[in-house]
Amino acid sequence: MKLLIMEDDVAAARSLKEGLEQAGHGVDLAHDGDQGYALARQGHHDLWIMDVMMPGRDGLSVLKALRDEGRRTPALIVSALGEVDERVEGLRAGGDDYVVKPYAFAELLARVEALLRRAHAFGGSPETSLELADLKIDLLSRSVIRAGQAIDLQPREFRLLEYLMRNAGQVVTRTMLLENVWEYFFDPQTNVVDVHISRLRQKIDKSFATPLLHTVRGEGYILRAER
Amino acid sequence: MSGMWLFVMILLLGAMAAGVGFWWVRRREQKVAMLRERLVTVTQCARQTGDNIAHDLRTPLTRLRGDVEAALRQDDAAAHRATLERTLGEVEGMQSIINALLTLGQAEAGGIRVKKRPVDLTALLEEMLELYIPSAEERQLRLEGRIAPRMLIEADRQLLARIFSNLLDNALKYVPAGGLIMLTGAIKGGRAEITVEDSGPGVPQEMREKIFERFTRLDSSRTIASGAGLGLSLVKAFARLLQGDVTIGSSSLGGAAFSVTLPASAASVSTPFPR
Repeated sequence: MKLLIMEDDVAAARSLKEGLEQAGHGVDLAHDGDQGYALARQGHHDLWIMDVMMPGRDGLSVLKALRDEGRRTPALIVSALGEVDERVEGLRAGGDDYVVKPYAFAELLARVEALLRRAHAFGGSPETSLELADLKIDLLSRSVIRAGQAIDLQPREFRLLEYLMRNAGQVVTRTMLLENVWEYFFDPQTNVVDVHISRLRQKIDKSFATPLLHTVRGEGYILRAER
Repeated sequence: MSGMWLFVMILLLGAMAAGVGFWWVRRREQKVAMLRERLVTVTQCARQTGDNIAHDLRTPLTRLRGDVEAALRQDDAAAHRATLERTLGEVEGMQSIINALLTLGQAEAGGIRVKKRPVDLTALLEEMLELYIPSAEERQLRLEGRIAPRMLIEADRQLLARIFSNLLDNALKYVPAGGLIMLTGAIKGGRAEITVEDSGPGVPQEMREKIFERFTRLDSSRTIASGAGLGLSLVKAFARLLQGDVTIGSSSLGGAAFSVTLPASAASVSTPFPR
């Protein structure tokens, strides 16, 4: 995938570029809003990563202009401002997701992958079920079956599993889970997500030979069939 | 005669003008005095906060510097990696202090725009229980709720959740295994009152006023692992942003009781006794 980073801090942009290239993506860099706008308009990119505060045109007005021209490339907004209303403003300007500086690279990468995947999943008819190996969830009856055996989940556990299934094969972070499963935009001090994950793991993995839900140390969780 | 009247009139007007002038000057003086007092408090507060920040950041910085210098004297890749990992941990700790301070500064200066919407407080508190009960059980604690039905308030859901999450984080941190934490919510006299109380060690009387101040911790060890001592300051600032407040008292369970009061919506059902 080809990504465009708009970031005025040259050192930050360089380490971000290196990280994303190591993850297998092609990366173009722009160091101010005008350059970013010009590059984005060429239409070569699968995702834009834009810093809000840049010299010249700021990230949000660049994004707004691009959206007004009908460009639908997914955009990840990166901002030093972390409050909820700033996030809302970013999403209103046309952003698809939002990370706060200084972020962990793993957090940013996980969100980039989730956005790229979501963009490619669009277009088909809405799914009524999701499957991974011998695990199957029915989104209409909200039932879960593994290897022919019904698994009883609480409503929140179902949402957690659904989110993991939709992002199967990719790392999701604790923050992503809090935002998407609980709709909380802050990180509690207690390891609340970890405990919910371990309960879900008990239910979907414990009595089966192959574990599906794995911990990725220092990053988050991943649901996948192979180890 | 008319000259006399004129003289009296002038005298009266003069006296009135003098009175108004005097009143105006006094009012200004009072205002100036009030402003001066406020400024002194703010300056003291800022100085104290500055000192605390310096202390709180200097401790991890000292560790970090020592660690990095020691690593530079070595020539061992594994040791370098371990140092980098510890460095990242220290950086994350400092980051969370700075983030909390920025949020706190913004909240206290009214810089956070509060988007008030009708919030189903009953549902929110039940969600909080659902989110925290597994973590409580993991620590061998019981977390229970007595939450009145159909409580509606005009508030910001994220700020509310941050308030209760901070209070529950605190309780989970301080209540020893085997203890009980109780989350209560009810409407009393047109206000919603939400209490997080526990069977823990409680907060000594002399600490109760200080506990909402920045960098106050019950344990005197100033390590990042024990938290920066900003959680309760944030709770207070958020409660005030929502035209509410938070107070601390003793719980009948034996420990601390933190009570948050918030303006309730007129649509709420008044339920003095939680179910």
